[in-house]
Amino acid sequence: MISRSEIKAFTQKTPSFDDTFLGLKAISRQPSGMSKETRKVIALARKFNAEVVRPLALSLDITMQKDPTHIPMDFVNKANEWGFYTLWIPKLFGGQGYNLPSISFFLEEIGSECLAMANLIGVHYLGFAVAVSSWSTGLINRLCQDTINGEKTGKPCLMSLALTEPGAGTDVEETDLMDKGSVACHAKKVEGGYVVNGTKVFISNGHLSHWHMLIAFEDLKKPSASTVMLAVETGMKGFSFGRMEKKMGQKGCPASELMFDNCFIPDANVLFNSDQGKHFKRSLTRTNMQIIDFYFAASRAAVGAFGIGAARGAYNLARDYVSKTEMNGSLLINQEWVQSMLAEMYKNVLLGRLAYNEANYATSMHGMYKLIQQKQLYYITKYTPRIIFEKLIQPVLGNSLVLWLVRKFNFDMQTDEEIELTSGLASLAKFAGTDAGIKNCHMALELMGQAGLRHDMRAEKCLRDAKLLQIYEGTNQLNRLNLFKCLIAKDFTQATVFEEN
Amino acid sequence: MLAITNKELIMLEKAAHEFSRKVLFPERENNDKFPFGPFFQSTFEKAFDLDFFHTILPESIGGLGHGMTALCVLLESICTEDSSLGGIIFTHSAAMNLMLATGSQKELGPIMAKKNINDVLIAIPVFNNPSETNHLPEAVPDGETYCLSGPVDYLTLGGIAGHAIVAAKTKNKTGYSFFLVDLSQAGIRKSDPVLSLGLRACPSVDTRFEKVPARLIGEEGKGPDYFNKMADRMHTAAAAMSLGIMKGSFKEALDYGKKRDQGGRKIIQWSEMKMILGNMAVQIKVSDMIVTQSCNAVDNRDKDWEAGSRAAALHVQSLACDLTTDGVQAMGGVGYMKDFGQEKRFRDAKQLQALLGMCPVKKIRYLEKMI
Repeated sequence: MISRSEIKAFTQKTPSFDDTFLGLKAISRQPSGMSKETRKVIALARKFNAEVVRPLALSLDITMQKDPTHIPMDFVNKANEWGFYTLWIPKLFGGQGYNLPSISFFLEEIGSECLAMANLIGVHYLGFAVAVSSWSTGLINRLCQDTINGEKTGKPCLMSLALTEPGAGTDVEETDLMDKGSVACHAKKVEGGYVVNGTKVFISNGHLSHWHMLIAFEDLKKPSASTVMLAVETGMKGFSFGRMEKKMGQKGCPASELMFDNCFIPDANVLFNSDQGKHFKRSLTRTNMQIIDFYFAASRAAVGAFGIGAARGAYNLARDYVSKTEMNGSLLINQEWVQSMLAEMYKNVLLGRLAYNEANYATSMHGMYKLIQQKQLYYITKYTPRIIFEKLIQPVLGNSLVLWLVRKFNFDMQTDEEIELTSGLASLAKFAGTDAGIKNCHMALELMGQAGLRHDMRAEKCLRDAKLLQIYEGTNQLNRLNLFKCLIAKDFTQATVFEEN
Repeated sequence: MLAITNKELIMLEKAAHEFSRKVLFPERENNDKFPFGPFFQSTFEKAFDLDFFHTILPESIGGLGHGMTALCVLLESICTEDSSLGGIIFTHSAAMNLMLATGSQKELGPIMAKKNINDVLIAIPVFNNPSETNHLPEAVPDGETYCLSGPVDYLTLGGIAGHAIVAAKTKNKTGYSFFLVDLSQAGIRKSDPVLSLGLRACPSVDTRFEKVPARLIGEEGKGPDYFNKMADRMHTAAAAMSLGIMKGSFKEALDYGKKRDQGGRKIIQWSEMKMILGNMAVQIKVSDMIVTQSCNAVDNRDKDWEAGSRAAALHVQSLACDLTTDGVQAMGGVGYMKDFGQEKRFRDAKQLQALLGMCPVKKIRYLEKMI
């Protein structure tokens, strides 16, 4: 009927089988224990929603409206008590080691009740993902130990990402744009470290994080090849916080200005720089883009999950409202137009979830999670006693041979096709999920009429919160272009991206 | 609005535009802090002094006697910067229209003659069609008047107005009736201002009436007819408010695009951004034509003007929701911040879509009228 060579030829044609049916491929590859673990994570999120998020969500939003400088430490302390800041830190680094894709399901759950609170947890893992993208095992371990100690001592130790600058948003997310843009955060190499000058803005969780993964540049004229990733600790001389932004929504999660004035950061806090980047097969610029793709492939799928959280929250609110509200003697839920709208909202949730799952499958098989989600390693880390990691593994994580091996595996053994697939699908998940979130919020407000406008009915907060999702982690416009770059342009040699005049 | 040739309207548009730019714009962020900040009483009073609240009121009872076009010119200009004031004028105008529809000029005259602006204002649950409400208050005859008992939720301007128009059910009559209530009377419990998505300085309150004396306006049981008469006209005004928001959003996005660099060039030079802004410009041009045409149809009582007015509102309000989403998006992170006007326009556009009833129900009713 069809020969082996034909099967290969036809399934390699665009869209290739391997790029489009990741779920099928992943089923046999992923450890079966992941399913049970993910079920537990979802249950945990739902319990936390019932006990903490739902009772506090509206009051935190109002508190922030009254006082936009309020720092929501009460909630962060609660999340810390529940162990959420170490839940997805691999056991290798002393964390609880839950499978990394399960964080998306968790964030969808929390986001369905309050996106600000989901962000107060999720952004910590963005900071963590950026640290991991450097594969600087020794320093990552140090940061993780602080978070673990913070959990034990009841003093939360969160991580953030300091990337966006006043004059550069999209520019710092694409090496193709960096050199043409206006990046200004300068890192000057001096003996024993770097001196940093510049400002970062819109830094989620900035004011309440202890460690900040700072992206700075040695050469402002050629930032794409001179990126420096630094771990900056709150309290370092020359580092201070500026204003907290007054946002439309997600008010409970502060967006901070971080200011660096001759801030000295020692070599021990360097996650990645040009010297280290020279040893890999790609150019410095391409390696820096690979790093950006590492962390955004993971985090954009999670933002897609936030979006589906919003879509689901809006759907839940609308469904509950129409199931109790009568119009002209009949429950709204029994009217066909309402049923049709609910079905559409349900569809948006389900399709968006499939999209972020596909992105996570890609990252598990081809991206940042590849090593840790490998079946054998997953089970070894799951069942190895913690003390083995503490006594035998963690002490060698700073070893240069370990660092070289880990980086060789992650930087050089990842193919260009794998980078494109993980990055492109994450962008798809991001804009599909967040657009679905906005769509469902609009529909919920239309279904609820006057009631939907009221803060105490929650739907209006859902809309305000969801809008930010279309903007951060790269605007949805940038993510569409990234999808084109990664998944479409490869088939057209004549296609160029970010080079329009 | 397009092709205004009437000199009076040109002057009105100029005055409203100046007011919007010089008075509303500088204080927009502060005014939007309500109810956590002070109510913008002085701005409100300035607008009153400029006769913005009397546009459609007949000259015989102290108004300017203008038609729908004048009200729309005013609302559109104001809403380019701050729809909250637009919302107050709209609500008050809807209440006056309803009183005129019920033939209650006599009752309206003395209220409009009052000196204090708050005493002149008339509250009404303007984000609601009483036909869609399950729990209307009950009105019981009490001599020449009635006594009202029951809840009235989301009574817009209820916390600041002297009077309110309230829909209530009476025994032995299907449908509902409208009543004029003096809000200073005993027996009325008012909540704090309801924190809402948009139009925050156009406050609504939840109220509870306990045997509150009220005067029937119009005929008993004919409330739906009066509401529809009012709504037929006021939908055009609602569309004009959304148009104003769209124009404000587009202008701010365009100005920002000319200043902000990304990837070494102004973002206005990015073809993806040109497409977004181009789409916004087209939506505005079409909406402008729709609102202008609808104003003419309402004022001239053209054939099917009622349907035109309702269709105009439904379409322009929907476009405004789409456009203001893009308006925020075109400015990236700053579009989401309160330092700029885009986030407020995004909220206000969605709030306005609920004026005079639920959006999907309005579409269904529109079709039902045709068949």
